[in-house]
Amino acid sequence: MAKLYVDSDKYGDQAHSPTVEAFHSAIKDLVRRRLDESGVDWNSFVFDKSYDLITAADFEEIERKLLDAGHRYDFSAVISVNERPEAYKPAEGILGDDPDWTMEHPDAPSGDADAEGRALCGVGDNVMRVSENTVGTAHYVRSSSQVMRYLGDGVPPGTIAIIDDSGGTLTAPILERFAGIICMGGTVRSHLGILSREYGIPCFMNAKITGIREGERLEMETAAAAKTAEAYQKGEEMTANIWKLVQEAP
Amino acid sequence: MVGAPRLSYAQLLETNNLLQTFTDETYWLCVTRTVQESKLFPVPPYMLLSYLNAFYRYPSLLRKVESVMTAEEIGDRAREGRPPGKSAMGWGMPGFYLLGREWLINMGLLRPQDAAEDVVYLMDFWKRLQLSWHRNDGHITNKEFGHRCQILPERRLQVFESDAYGCETGDPLHSAATQFMASAAQYGFLVSCESRISLLNTGPYKLADGNEMIVREFMDLGEGDFPWLDDVAADIPYNNLTVPMLVKDCHFYLVDDWGSFESEPEFRAESIVGVGLYTSDPLTEGHVPVGMESREALTETFRTLDGLFKEATARLWKRIAGWSRDQMLDAGALTYFGICKDLAHVAGVYAHEDWMLIDERAERFRPLLNDEFSRDCLGELVGLLTLPSHRLSSYSMMQHGNGPTRMYTPIPYAILDGEGYVPTCGPVYPGATTLPAKADRYRTSQGVLTLEEYNLRVRDFAPQSDRYRFLDETWLKYNHDTPRADKMYRHEQERARKIQDCGASLGAAELAALPRD
Repeated sequence: MAKLYVDSDKYGDQAHSPTVEAFHSAIKDLVRRRLDESGVDWNSFVFDKSYDLITAADFEEIERKLLDAGHRYDFSAVISVNERPEAYKPAEGILGDDPDWTMEHPDAPSGDADAEGRALCGVGDNVMRVSENTVGTAHYVRSSSQVMRYLGDGVPPGTIAIIDDSGGTLTAPILERFAGIICMGGTVRSHLGILSREYGIPCFMNAKITGIREGERLEMETAAAAKTAEAYQKGEEMTANIWKLVQEAP
Repeated sequence: MVGAPRLSYAQLLETNNLLQTFTDETYWLCVTRTVQESKLFPVPPYMLLSYLNAFYRYPSLLRKVESVMTAEEIGDRAREGRPPGKSAMGWGMPGFYLLGREWLINMGLLRPQDAAEDVVYLMDFWKRLQLSWHRNDGHITNKEFGHRCQILPERRLQVFESDAYGCETGDPLHSAATQFMASAAQYGFLVSCESRISLLNTGPYKLADGNEMIVREFMDLGEGDFPWLDDVAADIPYNNLTVPMLVKDCHFYLVDDWGSFESEPEFRAESIVGVGLYTSDPLTEGHVPVGMESREALTETFRTLDGLFKEATARLWKRIAGWSRDQMLDAGALTYFGICKDLAHVAGVYAHEDWMLIDERAERFRPLLNDEFSRDCLGELVGLLTLPSHRLSSYSMMQHGNGPTRMYTPIPYAILDGEGYVPTCGPVYPGATTLPAKADRYRTSQGVLTLEEYNLRVRDFAPQSDRYRFLDETWLKYNHDTPRADKMYRHEQERARKIQDCGASLGAAELAALPRD
């Protein structure tokens, strides 16, 4: 079989990710086969014959073999799992229709209710310090169908949106109406962090939460210091608390 | 070409230097900025698709641009504000191309020497463009300048500073301006499919009172190149908007090649003490004031635009929410790939078929682009540097990372020693898209034009500033009292609010003495 230029790599071996390595190995096998079959040298193959001989059908076949072996993909965009549920791991809690579903982070702190009736249920990186803590009602916002519902019915007043997407597009048409945001990913520099600062909406990024059910009352420690660039660069923890209001002050 | 190299040793040395410099900065940007993710858009899949489209198409499209206007001429016009310089200049154009090349090497579909003449040409184009765009600060990139970006000449900065209306937290102008910038930024993220490509910050510029000025650009806002803005952006009256933002008690210590800034203490809306508003495009003489007739007019203009952006955001979001995954993939990939499309607009050779289609050579790879593979592959390409092509001898220590790795593979010098190579990946091949057909409507400063008319007008346009092209800041320093310098400054000041006809000898102290009303 033909030998590829990259087959004799003194320092490099294989990709770190098993999925990437599986695909890349299969593609290199394909290229070797097609180069052999073409009967031409590499110089005629690379920007000429290969355009006809390495096809989308070949890549579909490579992908099919991985799925046939039982692999199912992690998803990042909801549409990916919606369009090909057979190819992706199931998306739990994505529609926001299970009142008992909670987002769980393995490193989230928790505690019993304090003297003020507040039970610790998470932490996050504060994007912007404001004069007072932020109190509101937890609502998970994780899919475009949920955003569409809010566009039609309105965002409930005092909503603290719990979002696992640090981007600025999923919640674009309703973002301004949130009283607070708890985002499970990103940093204070993420698009969602940037936009919340521009709008002046209290926001925690990179949050670690546990046991928060849809509709529960929350307090965000938004009067805490904002996480600094220096803290990120030094890898220092600089978090603000999230409490469930077990017994709210009258 | 095999065995008869057309590239010289000097060309390879310079190209590989640019590649290595670019490697260092790309790694720093990718690991210190932030992860770009979205539950709405399949971001890593569209990024990978865009890289391949860039690899196969950029060399031909840039040669097409240079058949009409050189890279350095385009850089000169960008420096004058037509159109706003995009992050294309600083990072995106070579970055996306080189990432496509690196990925193909790791799939065994390319040797490091293949397309060598494309690589040399693209990096040389980028160097000339960057050097002319950055001529006033004298660097190729913001990184080379310690993450600073001082593009504009004094005459433009004097107009921006003196034109700006003073404001403070709580007053109507301050509230309207900050609301506008929030909604414009949000609209920009949506227009550009979760990327920052339609947003750019340049500066900082030091002001006489110790304050600093950042120039914020919002681009691709109206009906134009992106098919997904047809109809939904019909009400947006400007394709590009510029907000010079005067800021107190805040030092911008970093403005990177992605157009993001960082400051000490952290920038907040309360720090804004002055704002202005302008538009520009390839048909304008510099920056044209928008709503700058009075404080009240500017406040009302910000409010109107804020409302228009919010409405357009809702319409666009609903359109995108109804898309298929392939449509999202196409839109994101074309946004990324199109990061340097304005080069073709400035030259008057923009074609929808060039910039808004996925080349069939890139399209082949779509079946691979599931979320997991794309996430992992992208992570290895730009952050982990764990693909085989990244690995170097164990003695090596990468800048910023210290590991024996490198992001972009150089061109082997062995091609000068008989090692064969194929010079180019070939011309633009046919392309396709799953997106709806583009309406032939392009929002410009001269109204909504067909593309043919837009290109014609651009090619006929000869901005007055071209006459002053080589009258640089050093010449000005020693010749400010000459009639020629005076004429150049008066031309710049024609639309100024307070410094009309002040001429070239206007100094910082006189400017600072102007009331900030």
